[in-house]
Amino acid sequence: MKAKIGVYICHCGSNIAKIVDCEAVREYISTLPEVAIARTYKYMCSNPGQDLIVQDIKEHGLQRVVVAACSPRMHERTFRAALQAAGLNPYMFEMANIREQCSWVHDDPQAATEKAKALAQAAVRRVVHHEALEQMTVDMCPNTLVIGAGIAGLTATLELAEAGQKVFLLEKQDHLGGNLARVDLTAPYLDSARDLLIERITRVRSSGNIELLLNSRLQQLQGYVGNFTATLSRTGHDGPGTGKIREIQVGNVIVCTGYREFAAERVTHFGYGKLPDVITSFDFEKMLQAGRIECCDGTIPKYAAIIHCVGSRSAEFHGYCSRVCCMTALKYVHEIKSAVPSCYVSDLYIDMHAFGKGHEDFYRRTSEVKTMFLMFGKGDHPIIRSAGPKDDCKMLIEVNEQLSGELIEIPADLVILMVGMEAQEDAMETARLVNISQDKEGWFIESHPKLDPVATTTDGIFIAGTCVAPKDIPDTVAQARAAAARILARIAKGKIAVDAVYAEISDDACSGCRICNELCPYSAIEYDDKKKRSHVISAMCKACGACVAACPSGAIKGRHFTDQQILAQIEGVLR
Amino acid sequence: MSFEPRILGILCNWCSYAGADLAGTSRIHYPPNVRIIRVMCSARVDPTFVVKALVSGADGVLICGCHPGDCHYSEGNYKTMRRIPLLKKVLKDFGIEDERVRLEWISASEGQRFADIVKDMTERIRVLGPSHVACELHADPRER
Ligand SMILES: Cc1cc2nc3c(=O)[nH]c(=O)nc-3n(C[C@H](O)[C@H](O)[C@H](O)COP(=O)(O)OP(=O)(O)OC[C@H]3O[C@@H](n4cnc5c(N)ncnc54)[C@H](O)[C@@H]3O)c2cc1C
Ligand code: SF4
Ligand code: SF4
Ligand code: FES
Repeated sequence: MKAKIGVYICHCGSNIAKIVDCEAVREYISTLPEVAIARTYKYMCSNPGQDLIVQDIKEHGLQRVVVAACSPRMHERTFRAALQAAGLNPYMFEMANIREQCSWVHDDPQAATEKAKALAQAAVRRVVHHEALEQMTVDMCPNTLVIGAGIAGLTATLELAEAGQKVFLLEKQDHLGGNLARVDLTAPYLDSARDLLIERITRVRSSGNIELLLNSRLQQLQGYVGNFTATLSRTGHDGPGTGKIREIQVGNVIVCTGYREFAAERVTHFGYGKLPDVITSFDFEKMLQAGRIECCDGTIPKYAAIIHCVGSRSAEFHGYCSRVCCMTALKYVHEIKSAVPSCYVSDLYIDMHAFGKGHEDFYRRTSEVKTMFLMFGKGDHPIIRSAGPKDDCKMLIEVNEQLSGELIEIPADLVILMVGMEAQEDAMETARLVNISQDKEGWFIESHPKLDPVATTTDGIFIAGTCVAPKDIPDTVAQARAAAARILARIAKGKIAVDAVYAEISDDACSGCRICNELCPYSAIEYDDKKKRSHVISAMCKACGACVAACPSGAIKGRHFTDQQILAQIEGVLR
Repeated sequence: MSFEPRILGILCNWCSYAGADLAGTSRIHYPPNVRIIRVMCSARVDPTFVVKALVSGADGVLICGCHPGDCHYSEGNYKTMRRIPLLKKVLKDFGIEDERVRLEWISASEGQRFADIVKDMTERIRVLGPSHVACELHADPRER
């Protein structure tokens, strides 16, 4: 019997069609015996594009579908849903990645077209062997674990608890609020960080749905979406309950572990730790909270200087922008000017990043309060030295000013280094515990940076706030609420569909050697002593395929990644 | 006519396939000689896949997984790390040069690294010439 396959080659506007001759791919693919229909279309993922598939399935009785377009990590779900809408099992589908792995990385149209033909052919060969799989649904435990009680964790917790759901809020320190508890007023509206936090902390403490676990850490997380078991332990050096272990059941987890400040002593040229009046932004926040701006000898500074991008946007330390330092620096200009109006303030920056709502206005207002803005070059940092006895200041800063092109020397009694944000020291440990990935700087990676920013590649694990990347309070809060909303939508459904892809052992083929038993990272393989056969607990299997490749009897089938499917695909791609 | 190596890439879904996608979204160019298939984890790579590729005309096979410690399934790549060298030893007995089968770790953020590895492997195999398995099975390897 000939499998009736429909193949759709997407132009992706001009993203694919600019390099790949889509018509040539279509012509080639239509010559394959199993292919009943082959079409090209401008945007397959658009509604009319999907309708094309639905129509063809209905009218021509297609049994299997291939879309040659972008990465399956982008749109596999979209097209599976289209198949489902047309009454076809969603697993009767395969994608050929002719954009990310072809048109976007090659410049020779002929070679790219040949490669696109091979990739599309491989998908056709593979899809012939696809089987209809039934999705399982599992119960969703309505409890949520939130890790980290900064503004992100507090916000997500309240959102869930006030919708009536149980939340475990885990915090490694002995207090709530995270880094925001160390901040005085907040840019750009100069409202108090303390007010923002106190209001939230009060609500958290008085809620009956929240179990607050201070001085606590996650030790282990087992299970899968909807059904996790988290093992927690109490930290701290002494006190009651130290080291005590406890287990909780949760359906979802939100990681809100935040950031740590960049250690200013790593930048040796600013003399932090040597020159006593060179301080960090957090040192300065402490002064602001105490209500007195002063030098280490107790005198009031006549000259203050602020230096941006310390540890950020540098080749040596972090390449990224920490996003909050520019506005925080302007906030300092404001606070110094209102507390010590006679103080002469210089602001030394590389670029002034004022991208957020209200930021540009804030910049304009600040530049009106007589501040000397000096621009220095990336990699051409200012140099600070102690002043001589004849100078009326404590330090002198030499800066190669970019706008004037002149070497300028300015006086300073107090220098504030705008230290950037850095991934937490234990971020890797956290990532491994909950099974998510980190980028090269240590920030957690989202499922899709634009379209799925708070989910991760592990279903049931969400991320929010500055553990994902540096961001200010509004963005942090938005992410925290988004993560909570995602979870509430799942809880409302009560059940969740888990992927129908897992390993299966054939009783007939299994020799009972037990090689696979030890191999499974999730202990999903059981040995049946009576039958003398191994057996996969499908709900626990995460479909890695390690056992499939290892079974000497070839008794294990990796559903949707069967030997047959993969071998056919290999043959097809090497046409 | 110059020899254009044909390389099969077998990439794990979570790190390496995402890394190759990132090379795409970042428009980092590399030679079109590699053709990629996706597996969930590098531990799914069965030796028969590599053998199948070689007899189907591949001049090289590139297997990529997450960095050690970063496997989505925590330790799958440690199994790969043991299996592939064993396989290479066996293949050597059949006259298949070491460089034709390559195992690399590529994270989801290493688009550039993926492109660099493909470039390097393509060049090395170009120097090595067509695989003799492919030559023997297909009368004219360039016609296959
Ligand atoms: C000097 C400075 C000034 C700033 N001023 C402003 C401003 O004016 N306006 C503005 O919008 N933004 C400002 N920001 C940014 C602001 O601090 C952040 O946007 C915000 O605090 C991020 O909150 P968060 O919850 O993501 O992280 P965090 O505040 O870092 O909270 C993370 C919490 O998680 C806990 N935690 C970490 N790891 C674990 C673990 N493994 N287990 C358990 N708990 C854990 C930590 O103890 C902490 O309590 C400023 C930043 C700096 C550096
Ligand atoms: S490795 Fe294969 S044969 Fe051995 S117990 Fe597991 S399934 Fe059975
Ligand atoms: S496929 Fe992986 S997770 Fe599933 S049973 Fe086999 S080894 Fe375990
Ligand atoms: S998931 Fe990438 S190597 Fe296991």
